[in-house]
Amino acid sequence: MLPEQHDILWTFMTMAYTLFAFYVFVNVIQHCRENEGVNGKLWGGIFGAFALISFFETVHMFDLVQADQMTFIFQYQILTVLAILLVWGVFFKSQDIQNQSSPIIRAFFFWSTVSIVLAGYTNWLPQQRSDPPPKAAAIAEDLTMEEFVEMGRVIVFGAKQVAGAKAIGKGQCPLCHTFDPGDLSGRCPNLFGVEERSHTRIKEDRYLNLPMKIGELEQVAGITKGKPDEIPEEYRRTGSPDLIGEDYLRESIMCPSCYVVEGFGKDADTKSPMPVITKPPVSLSPVEANAVIAWLQSKDTPGEFSNVTVPLPTASDAVAEDTSDDEERPVFVTGTEPIEQMINTLGCPLCHTIPGIEGAVGELGPKLFEKINAPQRIKDPNYKGSATNTKEYVRESILDPGAYVVFNEAEGEPFPDGLMPTTFSQMLSVQALDKLVDFISQTEAPPEG
Amino acid sequence: MLGKQTGRYQALSLAMVMAFAIYLLPAFATDALAKEAYAGQAFAEEAFAKEVLAEEAVAGGEGEGESEIEWGQDVFYKDWEGNPLKGPVSGFPAPELGPSDYNNYEFAPSRMILWMAAQQHLYFGSFVLAVPIFCMLIEFIGIRSKESDPIMSVKYDRLAHDLMKISLTAYSWTAILGGILLFTFITLFPGFFKYIAGIFRPVMHIYALMFLAESGILYVYYYGWERMSQDPFLKWIHVSLSVLLNLVGTVLMFLANSWATFMQAPGGIDEQGRFLGNIWHVIHSTLWNPVGVHRILGNIVFGGGIVGAYAAYHYLTAKTEEERAHYDWVCYVAMFICIFGLIPLPFAGYWLMKEVYAFRQQMGITLMGGIMAWLFIIQAVMIGLLFFGANSYLHNGMSRVKGAHRYMKYSKYMILLLIVCFTMWMTPHTIVMTPAELKAMGGAQHPIIGHFGVMSAKNTAVNLMITTTILCFLLYQKANKKITVPWQTIGNCWLSAIFIGAAANIIFLGVYGYYLPANIRVGLSVPQVTTTLTTLFVGTAINTSMFKDAETYGEVQWGTMSKVGTYAIFLLAISFTWLMGLMGYIRSAVRLFWHVTEVMRDNSVDAYTLTIGEAGKMLTFNTLFVWVQFVVVFWVASLTGKKEETVPEPQAVPVPAQQQQ
Repeated sequence: MLPEQHDILWTFMTMAYTLFAFYVFVNVIQHCRENEGVNGKLWGGIFGAFALISFFETVHMFDLVQADQMTFIFQYQILTVLAILLVWGVFFKSQDIQNQSSPIIRAFFFWSTVSIVLAGYTNWLPQQRSDPPPKAAAIAEDLTMEEFVEMGRVIVFGAKQVAGAKAIGKGQCPLCHTFDPGDLSGRCPNLFGVEERSHTRIKEDRYLNLPMKIGELEQVAGITKGKPDEIPEEYRRTGSPDLIGEDYLRESIMCPSCYVVEGFGKDADTKSPMPVITKPPVSLSPVEANAVIAWLQSKDTPGEFSNVTVPLPTASDAVAEDTSDDEERPVFVTGTEPIEQMINTLGCPLCHTIPGIEGAVGELGPKLFEKINAPQRIKDPNYKGSATNTKEYVRESILDPGAYVVFNEAEGEPFPDGLMPTTFSQMLSVQALDKLVDFISQTEAPPEG
Repeated sequence: MLGKQTGRYQALSLAMVMAFAIYLLPAFATDALAKEAYAGQAFAEEAFAKEVLAEEAVAGGEGEGESEIEWGQDVFYKDWEGNPLKGPVSGFPAPELGPSDYNNYEFAPSRMILWMAAQQHLYFGSFVLAVPIFCMLIEFIGIRSKESDPIMSVKYDRLAHDLMKISLTAYSWTAILGGILLFTFITLFPGFFKYIAGIFRPVMHIYALMFLAESGILYVYYYGWERMSQDPFLKWIHVSLSVLLNLVGTVLMFLANSWATFMQAPGGIDEQGRFLGNIWHVIHSTLWNPVGVHRILGNIVFGGGIVGAYAAYHYLTAKTEEERAHYDWVCYVAMFICIFGLIPLPFAGYWLMKEVYAFRQQMGITLMGGIMAWLFIIQAVMIGLLFFGANSYLHNGMSRVKGAHRYMKYSKYMILLLIVCFTMWMTPHTIVMTPAELKAMGGAQHPIIGHFGVMSAKNTAVNLMITTTILCFLLYQKANKKITVPWQTIGNCWLSAIFIGAAANIIFLGVYGYYLPANIRVGLSVPQVTTTLTTLFVGTAINTSMFKDAETYGEVQWGTMSKVGTYAIFLLAISFTWLMGLMGYIRSAVRLFWHVTEVMRDNSVDAYTLTIGEAGKMLTFNTLFVWVQFVVVFWVASLTGKKEETVPEPQAVPVPAQQQQ
């Protein structure tokens, strides 16, 4: 279900609860008619009111989208049902209460409780959804800022948002960043309030001097810090050369090591573990990078786009996008590609250092020196996987990353489990997997010096 | 096993085994002979193809202007040399679907609507295919017992007739749901349906004709019940009709299965999706046999669950003692059928998974170690629930058996063991954690609980759970018996030794597994399962042998089952329904973003794989919704029943194993 649609389960339950409320009303009325001493008007009024409340709650449920439906049903309608049950019990007090409801009602409550507990259990487990990568967003002449921001959100989270799910889009940002207040992965900074920070940060001493001074060139990204008029032309904004908040955001994705938030870097916070987002394997185009910046600038104020300073893409941008062979397809490698292309397509260099692959200097995950490391890890008492040799270990690590979590000796803690996607089995043909395993099994640390 | 008339109940068991064997034999035999027969067939086809090609080449050489036949390579079938089988291209390629090939409503994604329509139809289809199997067996037992026990014979006949009455209403309902499913396909996925209909055109027509045949036989079978009961010969004809009904029903199911198995693991087409002229190849793709067998067994389990819940509900609403006794007994029979079908079900599941791996290893890995892996953890939890339900029913059932007080004191220990095992069984290997949590715990696995997350612990847990359930059943069997055979002490010692030895062996093998390399450790599951099966077969054999000339503490008091025991049957029914939906979802969802694996891509906006939570909510909805419909169907069926109340209630109910003399 899409967020803007109804939840099929809660919609069903709300109708069932209202039917139950009317059933109780009829049951009470029948009982009153059979027993002259009972005040039919009073009890009929009470249970009629309950039935009406439940009915209006159901009507209201149809006005809500699925996330709100769940909140409403648990906060209000279930309370109404419990109240009905309680008052019903009071009505039949001392009159063989347990036999006053039909077994069908008791069975229904038993049935629905067990079933909903099962649904609850499935929602308690880690949520992961597998998306065929979205089709390239069409850039129309009359694109609105709302649509442009949505394009940015799709790049971050994927084509569609499912309630409760944290999907990962082309930008792969949610692998490490979080976006809601108080939500910390511990790996990279929480980006809640980043728009506000972008204006103040560029004035801080730490930004001006660490890990490099304004005007110095960052070698990996090839970006000069704090100089918006010197970044590659296709990514450059127009207007004043003065540094503004938008420039800080752009610099953060194009040159993560130009400034490293305290406590989130390597080598005494001088290097960021984040890859350059405008280079392979993520390779956001200028329009896509701007869309992400627009989303970052407006995400904390839903529906309000006054903070967005990036311009809407023009028709010429659209033409440029179309000519760059950047149509998004499902990430799938067949094994016929060169190994370097395969590895870049799969995004391994984002997190791993892989000898023999240019630009594969990621540090979020273990360095892949598997020729030496794999045999040692299989012998590790903590190893609980099923591999018996290097190739099996590498294969297992690709398909089931959680089978063994490598200890990060530099940090004195294990590398985080759950960061590495578990969907490589859907991205690789059998031949591609074999080829990848063969290559990685032979990787070893380059000779020192 | 089911009552005093041991012979007849053993005959019931035997008849069920025979029926299963007859049902499964063609599929197993087909599978066993498939490779051999197939190699010959493939060779012949290849030879024929070469012959035709050679003729064409000659014809072409002679300059004849005849239209050329295009030959395509099969995506699955291979010849005896291992090369892709060739066939004449006889259809259009699978289209690249675009936005115009998908329609949708605003209130829900098309994929969800289709899921709901398909699942509801499958639930009802499963029920109406299972009930005739029960009816066939029960009616057969009734005929066989007519001479020796006319009252019981009438009782069986009445039960079979009642079940058929419910099934008749459900049958119409199933057809309606099938129509809804068909319209959903045509209206929401027209591009996909056009392609599938093009491939399966003759199969769909045969399916429709078989449906007609099924309906005709069903109506004659049901409406001719009374008339054909008058004459013994006609009665045999009548029961033969039920055999025919089941055969036609099975063919129907297998035909419909071919559409699903083709989508998951296609055969008989080339890489572009073009039909290669052999409809049998399209039907008989690699997963066809295991899915068919798995579904037959699943239908029996599900049907048993529904009948059990139906009887349990009537038990709760019964007005007279006779009614209560009757429905209590029906609950017991239904439970027995359920468990009977459940035992071989995992083996059919293993076969299916083996074929999945054989088709595409990647698909198997996606299921067992990829995005679907968590769903199998949920499956484990559901199986745990089934064990709890079955044990709870047996424990509560003991309360109506005189003499059971001797064993009921052990119930609490068995429940405790089940809880411990269940906890181990559902402990995940790893969970998603923050680095801080990881650091605090000292690694990805907890230093103590982490040991329960591996297969050594899980195999130990599930084998102990099964063994406990077997023990519970044996105690239930002997609950009201005063054993008189001279070797009873030895027999009890043997039973004790078997169960204590089994538990010790299972635990030892489980612990030993921690000290072995992973590849050897995997092999330990075989002796563990063998140990468990030994307790089942040897334990039951010794136990039953000890009943010879046994005295009884009293009859089973049918109709005195506690409400908790009745709700345990409800729990089983819910669990079966939910589990069936879950496994169906897994089988279907493993196609990921393909309508037909690797041939026809799903280009709709719904081509994603759901999160577990979203799938779970849908499963819960489907479970609740189908049961609402079952209640309506049962109610509709009861409307006709009320007119027939003049038929006197048989006074006797079967007596269970406890009364065996």
